[in-house]
Amino acid sequence: MSLLAHGVGSRTDLPIPIGFALYGAGAAILISFAVLLLFWRTPRLGGSGSGRPLPEGLQRVLDGAPLRRGLQALALLVTVFVVVAALAGPDETARNLAPWVLYVTFWVGLVPASLLLGPVWRVANPLRLLHRVLRPLVPRAPGAHLLPALGLWPAAASLLVFVWLELVYPGRAEPVTVAVFLVGHAVVHVGLSLWFGERWFASGEAFEAYSTLIARLSPWARRDDGRLVLRSPLANAMATPAQPGLTALVVVLLGSTAFDGLSRTAWWQTGPGSANDSLSGTLGLLACIALVAGLYVLGTRLSGRLAGQDPAVQPGRYAATVIPIALGYTVAHYFSLLVLDGQNTWILISNPFGAAGVDLFGTYGNRVDLTAVSSDVIALVQVGAIILGHVVGVTLAHERALLSARRARASDQLPLVLTMVVFTLGGLGLLFGF
Amino acid sequence: MTARPARLPRALGALTLALALPLAACAGTDADAGSAAPPSPSSSAPAEDSSAAAPSSQAPAGQLLEVQVAGGQVTGDTGRVPVAAGEHVVLTVTSDVPDELHLHGYDLTADLQPGTPATVEFDATIPGVFEVELHEAGTVLLSLQVG
Repeated sequence: MSLLAHGVGSRTDLPIPIGFALYGAGAAILISFAVLLLFWRTPRLGGSGSGRPLPEGLQRVLDGAPLRRGLQALALLVTVFVVVAALAGPDETARNLAPWVLYVTFWVGLVPASLLLGPVWRVANPLRLLHRVLRPLVPRAPGAHLLPALGLWPAAASLLVFVWLELVYPGRAEPVTVAVFLVGHAVVHVGLSLWFGERWFASGEAFEAYSTLIARLSPWARRDDGRLVLRSPLANAMATPAQPGLTALVVVLLGSTAFDGLSRTAWWQTGPGSANDSLSGTLGLLACIALVAGLYVLGTRLSGRLAGQDPAVQPGRYAATVIPIALGYTVAHYFSLLVLDGQNTWILISNPFGAAGVDLFGTYGNRVDLTAVSSDVIALVQVGAIILGHVVGVTLAHERALLSARRARASDQLPLVLTMVVFTLGGLGLLFGF
Repeated sequence: MTARPARLPRALGALTLALALPLAACAGTDADAGSAAPPSPSSSAPAEDSSAAAPSSQAPAGQLLEVQVAGGQVTGDTGRVPVAAGEHVVLTVTSDVPDELHLHGYDLTADLQPGTPATVEFDATIPGVFEVELHEAGTVLLSLQVG
């Protein structure tokens, strides 16, 4: 079985040069202390009521049913098409559209889409349309009152299921796996949404929760009064509503991306992961998530203790500040997959069923150009994303600390900052390949 | 989460079925296997170089890699093998069972006949880490690190 991580792909990135790793590490540590000691000493990012409102006409269109139902119907058609292509198209992963659409164009593409346009999957989620059609069957969602207490915990579980499929399950790249996953995912989540009500999707569906989480670093937001606004991504992230399970969602995201990096190091492939089976992969994935969770909870609780605050509320309070770090990891690990192997989607769309002589868009004979982006550019993007994520994360944590205790000593924030430095050095180490 | 809708068990059943499906070899592969040209001019070696002869003639310069597969055990140049970008690479594999050799990314294949060395020859012009795999057995022989 292939040792390649992240679902599909023909290559993995070269280890970043040692110079990049060292400069990146040095920069991360320096910036951390600069933020603590030199940045603002009073909170200055806008809150959940800040932002420049969009014109009302534009908001009516964006919030209107026609746009949402239209996009949902379109997404549903595309999903059905991908499932049919998975089952009726060529058996071979290399020639079947479905795995490339799911693991690369959709899953990885959701990141830039949400970062630029906001929570796109909340608007276009085709399962919401199915829910609306089937809702008359269960007029009063019996479990709706349970959702506020569950928060984002179901989304964290749903995300864990998907990353396990993507990173661990040996048959992940088989077209039939993709078809079964898509159908199973739809059936499970539409069923749960009938039980819990339409709010289930925001609370428990992995892709929507993921898109919404990433969109917290986009300039698009909804103000307290319901107006759509443009605001600084930093203020937007800061205004992330505290929900149970937010920490879990962020930790699953960060831990799974760390495992993606770990599983492509020579150390893993010749050591703990050499069996290359579901068991070693599952244990590795869970260990990465547990490690990230442990470090994070330790750092936030210690910071809380130093500042004389209730340690129990600390992990949830700072969860949003880890979103940029998780995003940095994600960009570092998936950028090259999207721009290189992602070309496959546009090649295979010309002949989704592998019929002889079909070439709809004239791209079927193209080859993936694996030299489209040089390895230097890839390494720069990787280190840049990790460092930028770190800077934004530390900055947000600093602001959050000032918000919760205006006269906080800078040293109180040290444990959390050190945790973030560990995440960043770990991320660079994984890119370097140890 | 107490009660679940009636659909759920069926979906789980379908998932379990899929998990139990036999896995074909070569999960995450790359672009084309048949129609297109090789990614780089591979010094007169065709894309589907299934020459069953050892690389005796021409005395190729560059990096010579050899791997033996016997009784499921892989020996020789295994693990992560660094190759300088642009270098000419001659990879010779000898297997005790018939199989197909596949170098990902460069998308080169060669038929393996028991006991007869098979060779793929190419210029390492695409940077990155690429696996060399046995298609049937699914065994990864080595990872070529070009750069």
